Amino acid sequence: MIKKLHKLFSSVKLTIFLFLFLAATSILGTIIQQGLSMERYKTLYSPGVFSALKFFNIFDMYHSWWFTTLLILLSINIIVCTFKQVPRIIRLISPEKKEFDDTVFKSSQIRKIFQSQKKLSDIERQAEIIVKSLVGPPVKTAKGDAIYFLAEKGKYSRLGMILVHISILLILAGGLIGTMLGFAGQMNIVEGEKSDTVALFGGKGPEKLGFDVRCDDFTVEFYETGMPKEYKTDLAIIDDGGKVTSGTMRVNHPFIYKDLKFCQATYGIAGVSDFLIGARNNKTGKEIVLKPDIMKKVPLPGSNASFAIARFVTDHGGMGPAVLGVLLEPGKAHDIFWIFQDGHNINQQQKGGFIFTLKDFSRLYYTGIQVSKDPGVFIVWIGFCLIMMGFMLSLFFTHKRIWLKISGSQDKYEISIAASVSKNRKAFEEKLEELTRETTVE
Amino acid sequence: MNDTFLISIVTFTYFFAAFVFLISIIFHKKSVDKWALIITVAGLILQTSAIIMRWIHSYQLGIGHAPLSNFYESLVFFSWSIIFVYLIIRKRYPNKLFGILSAFFAFLILAYASLSGNVNCTIQPLIPALQSNWLISHVISSFLAYACFAIAFGTSILYLLKIKMNVSMLPDAPFLDEVTYKMISIGFVLLTLGIITGAAWADRAWGRYWGWDPKETWSLITWLIYGAFLHTHLARGWRGVKMSLVSIIGFIAVIFTYLGVNYVLAGLHSYL
Repeated sequence: MIKKLHKLFSSVKLTIFLFLFLAATSILGTIIQQGLSMERYKTLYSPGVFSALKFFNIFDMYHSWWFTTLLILLSINIIVCTFKQVPRIIRLISPEKKEFDDTVFKSSQIRKIFQSQKKLSDIERQAEIIVKSLVGPPVKTAKGDAIYFLAEKGKYSRLGMILVHISILLILAGGLIGTMLGFAGQMNIVEGEKSDTVALFGGKGPEKLGFDVRCDDFTVEFYETGMPKEYKTDLAIIDDGGKVTSGTMRVNHPFIYKDLKFCQATYGIAGVSDFLIGARNNKTGKEIVLKPDIMKKVPLPGSNASFAIARFVTDHGGMGPAVLGVLLEPGKAHDIFWIFQDGHNINQQQKGGFIFTLKDFSRLYYTGIQVSKDPGVFIVWIGFCLIMMGFMLSLFFTHKRIWLKISGSQDKYEISIAASVSKNRKAFEEKLEELTRETTVE
Repeated sequence: MNDTFLISIVTFTYFFAAFVFLISIIFHKKSVDKWALIITVAGLILQTSAIIMRWIHSYQLGIGHAPLSNFYESLVFFSWSIIFVYLIIRKRYPNKLFGILSAFFAFLILAYASLSGNVNCTIQPLIPALQSNWLISHVISSFLAYACFAIAFGTSILYLLKIKMNVSMLPDAPFLDEVTYKMISIGFVLLTLGIITGAAWADRAWGRYWGWDPKETWSLITWLIYGAFLHTHLARGWRGVKMSLVSIIGFIAVIFTYLGVNYVLAGLHSYL
């Protein structure tokens, strides 16, 4: 049983299967929107489909039991496979034995034997050239009748792949720690107000922070096109003891407090107030300024009518912000009309002998903060750095080894070459061919 | 002069280069191949200047940012990457067919960018989320990866043509197989770097390095497919037709990550 399991987890077939299975199932979660409320899903899918999707946790599939199981299987697979490689890698990178073993000339990946009738000193010189140009400066040893040349380079590139696999494990472990011990959610705070509760993503309910977060100020700048250019929030954290820590947070520049990260995610208008409505008398040309609150009527000086605003919209028919004005004249039906900022739709704003304009109002913004805590993130960063180091090691360096033996006696020397390379074998062999051709032709 | 005008010249330069590469193959003339190379390099220099010009121009407009921030700019950079990668591998794999493939691919992408009505080529101001130092490294590593995968896709198609239809003018099958493998291994490393820089950026912008957003998920799907490719090649010794098919499927995933997510699925990456 254990043997079977070991065999399963040490097979690359399993890795390939898990990779492709994870890839295929991941598509599902990009088609079916994740983390909406159950009520919303009920309206999107028929009851049968809904319960099937819910059973397999498809609505939050990347955190489901089966997806996590796949990732754990992958981790075990990586651990077993990597450990299986360790003895071989250690053998490869451990210092070369000083004793020369002639078996390499029979067992190596790349082998070549040829004869030469030249002088020994010439052959030696050429042997040195071959070894040096293929791998690096040779170590020369004589043993018995034979002379050996040996060179090795880039053996640590063998560690690259191990490093990559360990990094994947670190990233997965960091991710797991983050999911288990961390949280992420959103809090919207109106300017000047405070909150201590984060609405967790994925409908996981509220999370108490244990301290208050206050939005001291929110500012937004716009491009000429009306697109937001930058927005930022001045935050203050007020802890139990009443200690205040303040800071600024803007998009791409989070505010960090203890182990929490506050990111500027969105903003919006929470409300409008302090309306200034201009009413210009048609006859006298004199303008008076009214300061009505929503749904509170104010007298209209110079007439027996009164005025109120029913509601505010940020944009009415593409003509910008507008308020819905109500003119109340005794004995007449209410007159309801839109009032715009200067210069817009003057005709519609002429009512009861007055021209109305929306002169000013103040917006009250709320800031949308993404709050997250992730104790695993540090491990993930280490994993990210190591994985790139591992890739660099195996991409830019090649482990090359060469053994060259000159044996035989005068007039008939035998030159045996054995070599192994971790990659680009074809190019190596071509170069070897070229170098030995030169040697024999000369 | 306008950078988009320069880009339309570059578009025809690449088309011309592909054409000259074709002539050099048909007539087996080494000198013609040299000319095709010169035209390609000229195209790349012109395109690089256009990109720099656009960069400078954005500063003159007061909305300065690297020209890697909308669909048009990404298409221009994608075609730039393909020619760039081609010129790097050319020395090692001196095959005229790769010249045709790369120049024609670059031409198609630029032609789509310049002529299609739904690609807006004006310089737009940068929304706050894109104002990050991670933008440049993230986009460059991602698109260089895409370029490597595009070339691997081309060599895989050539491989299938060679094997199934035995087209004699094509290079040897083992050679094509090797180029596919090399391009995918380099592309894979670059894609990993693209995902990592994206994760670092997401962590700054949204407070999490990974959020299973459709774009993120599709980049992972692509990574998994090419990861499976490398494992089958290295550990199981798969070669040939099966590998070519995996490479083609991988490139479909690349295209979906690049375009499909934006056109088909909704997500945070709506600006590409």
